[in-house]
Amino acid sequence: MRVGSKAPERSPSAAGLSRRLAWSGALVAAIGLIFLFPLGFLLWETVALGDDLWGTLLSRRAMVPLAKSLLIATTTAVACAVLGTTLAVLVARTNLPGRRVLRVVLALPLAIPSFVGATALLAAFGPGALITALPRPEGFWGALVVLTLLSYPYVYLPVLSRLRSTAPSLEEAARQLGSTPRRTLLRIVMPQLRSAIAAGTLLVLLYGLSDFGAVSLMRYDTITRAIFSSRLFDRATSLTLGLLLAVLALVVVAAERAIVSRRREISTVGRRQPVYGLGRLRGPAAVLVVVVLGAALVTPIAVFVVWILRGSATIGSEFAGFGDGLGFLVSPVVNSILASVAAGIGAAAIVLPVALAEVRRRTLLADASAVAVTSVFALPGLVVALAVVFWAIQAPAPLAGLYQSFPLLILGYVLHFGAQSLRSSQAAIAAIPEQIDAAARTLGVGPRRRLLELDLPLMAPGLIAGAGLVMLSTLKELPATLLLAPIGFQTLATKTWGAAEDGFYAEVGATALVLVALSALLTWLLVLRPELSR
Amino acid sequence: MRLAAMAIALALAVTSCGEGSETITIYSGRTENLIGPLLDEFSDSTGIDVEVRYGQSADLALLIDQEGDRSPADVFISQSPGAVGFLAGNDRLAPIGEGVLDLVPAEFRNSDGKWVGMSGRVRVIVYNEDLVDPSELPDSILELTAERFRGRVAVAPANGSFQDFVTAMRETTGDDATLEWLEGLVANDAQTYTNNSSIVQAVGRGDVPMGLVNHYYNLRAQAEDPGVVSQNYFFPDGDIGSLLIATAAGVISTTDDAELADRFVEFMLSPAAQEFLSEETFEYPLASGIQSPDGLPPLSSIDVATYDFDRLGGGLERTKELIDESGLESS
Repeated sequence: MRVGSKAPERSPSAAGLSRRLAWSGALVAAIGLIFLFPLGFLLWETVALGDDLWGTLLSRRAMVPLAKSLLIATTTAVACAVLGTTLAVLVARTNLPGRRVLRVVLALPLAIPSFVGATALLAAFGPGALITALPRPEGFWGALVVLTLLSYPYVYLPVLSRLRSTAPSLEEAARQLGSTPRRTLLRIVMPQLRSAIAAGTLLVLLYGLSDFGAVSLMRYDTITRAIFSSRLFDRATSLTLGLLLAVLALVVVAAERAIVSRRREISTVGRRQPVYGLGRLRGPAAVLVVVVLGAALVTPIAVFVVWILRGSATIGSEFAGFGDGLGFLVSPVVNSILASVAAGIGAAAIVLPVALAEVRRRTLLADASAVAVTSVFALPGLVVALAVVFWAIQAPAPLAGLYQSFPLLILGYVLHFGAQSLRSSQAAIAAIPEQIDAAARTLGVGPRRRLLELDLPLMAPGLIAGAGLVMLSTLKELPATLLLAPIGFQTLATKTWGAAEDGFYAEVGATALVLVALSALLTWLLVLRPELSR
Repeated sequence: MRLAAMAIALALAVTSCGEGSETITIYSGRTENLIGPLLDEFSDSTGIDVEVRYGQSADLALLIDQEGDRSPADVFISQSPGAVGFLAGNDRLAPIGEGVLDLVPAEFRNSDGKWVGMSGRVRVIVYNEDLVDPSELPDSILELTAERFRGRVAVAPANGSFQDFVTAMRETTGDDATLEWLEGLVANDAQTYTNNSSIVQAVGRGDVPMGLVNHYYNLRAQAEDPGVVSQNYFFPDGDIGSLLIATAAGVISTTDDAELADRFVEFMLSPAAQEFLSEETFEYPLASGIQSPDGLPPLSSIDVATYDFDRLGGGLERTKELIDESGLESS
């Protein structure tokens, strides 16, 4: 870190500073407004259709599924908080065998689209399935298990990233004062993880509200079912319920901000983190990891392989979807990489000003923008996609040309998944010691250099973790890809969906396997390797 | 940043090629496996570029409606009459040329000529042969509210083809009787699932002994796994339970080349295309004079009436209301 190098920059005059603040305020406001597109669309359409708003909202068919949505989302969030945090601590800070490989592998269930994961687990467990000794995942408990297994990485990844930048000095001091490893982990390390855990848990909560694939296959009736089943022939109800979900998300996000205190957490880079011996807990810890990976990753993969083998044995390759070998997957793989990497980078870049303003300036405007960004994640992808279509179609001439272009598709992803990047970025910025910035300022280092040479390197692990989450979510994203992509632009997720829609399970198996493998490769190359090699 | 810029530039380059020659844009509710080879054939034989957007029929119908005058789509292919009916009702479809319409018998097309049926899927009971003796299966779908079927029948009330069936039932038996039947299903503890595929799989595993689906899904399941114990049962004597659900094509009203769009629809109704639908996707071809698939009951034994969903009073909106009122969906 070259903090004290010569920096002959002009000291900021008062006028310059206020001009910069005004610009930054305008930027933050503009970003917040863009993230209000889906809400604006829902409001506009609801009013235009003239639905009996209160009648619909207060009816039994809205309230019962809504209560169920809240129940499944909160319980899944709690389960993921516990599981994701435990797994991250185990692979980052203990002598668990195989932890280097496990760090990558444990992130992968996030890459499995929920409808594919749920279908595979239904085919795996229960009477008449592959493993008959276990009960069939179904109803509330089935939905809870499936959603937890597929979405704990929302907590796991930010916590893992945070664990690599906590201050080892605190732990060393504790150890020298005679604290046991377990006590040190609980009393010294855990408190430093608080904002990362809160960030991930909120994401799971919002995701739980938005999910349709897993809950519908588990036959658990939530608000998203009501939104989907009425989307064509009772649009007023569908949109009103969408609006209800959007408002609920705003309330949840705002409430979380009010409840969870934003304490500053100290962060360092380039230090080796202490590793603790598990002792007698080594066995149970290994069992936990094996069970989670067995259910969340190995089982779906095994089901995919069974589908491929069964399909290619009975129908041959001809009508199983692979007429010309695996060549049909080349362009979806390329498209998936382009879209997911662009969305990850785009999301990190677009939400960064909001995250900076929120942590550093703590203005009401920054808070409001952050709430807007975060809340969109609770909406079903279809609603976000239709909102983008709604605004893009009405846009004035030069912008209208963007309709069904690659940049607009990326904007759709960024709108939907920006929350994932924002929370990680906030945590990363909050973790930068204020003194460093103050010291640099005293030495006359200008704002741009402070950002590029101080803040960005310190924030990098958090930014990369957030972009990684967006990347994984984009890899499996469906509704926006189907509706917004340039025509003919197919991804592994749309291929998987197309095959599943009409019962081509051998092809589902093949595309889903490639999707998981690609996710593993990208997660390792772009997210974990840069971080581990730091 | 630079990576993103490169990605965008590359994607734009990829998407902008192929301009110059004649192009037709299809929004297809049929998935690639069920229509891709036909699109390739059309392109090869005419030299016209086919661009296609796949998605669920209902989502694509919503998209076209949202796009309004700016829709790039020329033709919409729907998996159910409901989604084309929605677009016809919103004035998003142009009449198809007479010569093309006449390729299909009048009962398989919209009376205003706004959409034409291409192929048909038939509503059936899929049952688990280990759990159900074929002799206990009912002669009419109306019997499913009887005590002996308590808790044993799966339905997918949020699914388009179930809703299309309910609409047809309303026309033949009236709204009151239809609501009574739906409420009877609820009272009889009918099991609700999200779609046809999940019912066929649940029946195959024995989670539920039988379910109401389209005939296609079990034939597909048997093709992937000959060991499955689920079987299709067609209701006899033209019972409305075995209604034919037409997949359909419509021309979007904003198309800049209606002639080309008609030509494409005509191709989909040609013997070669219709034989593909019959032989490869196990569907009933609807153009006049094309044979039904092997091993399926002939169309003449099935209740083949199709319904002009756009003409029905209240149409699918009313159907949705009745399903909501019965409580079937949220049971």
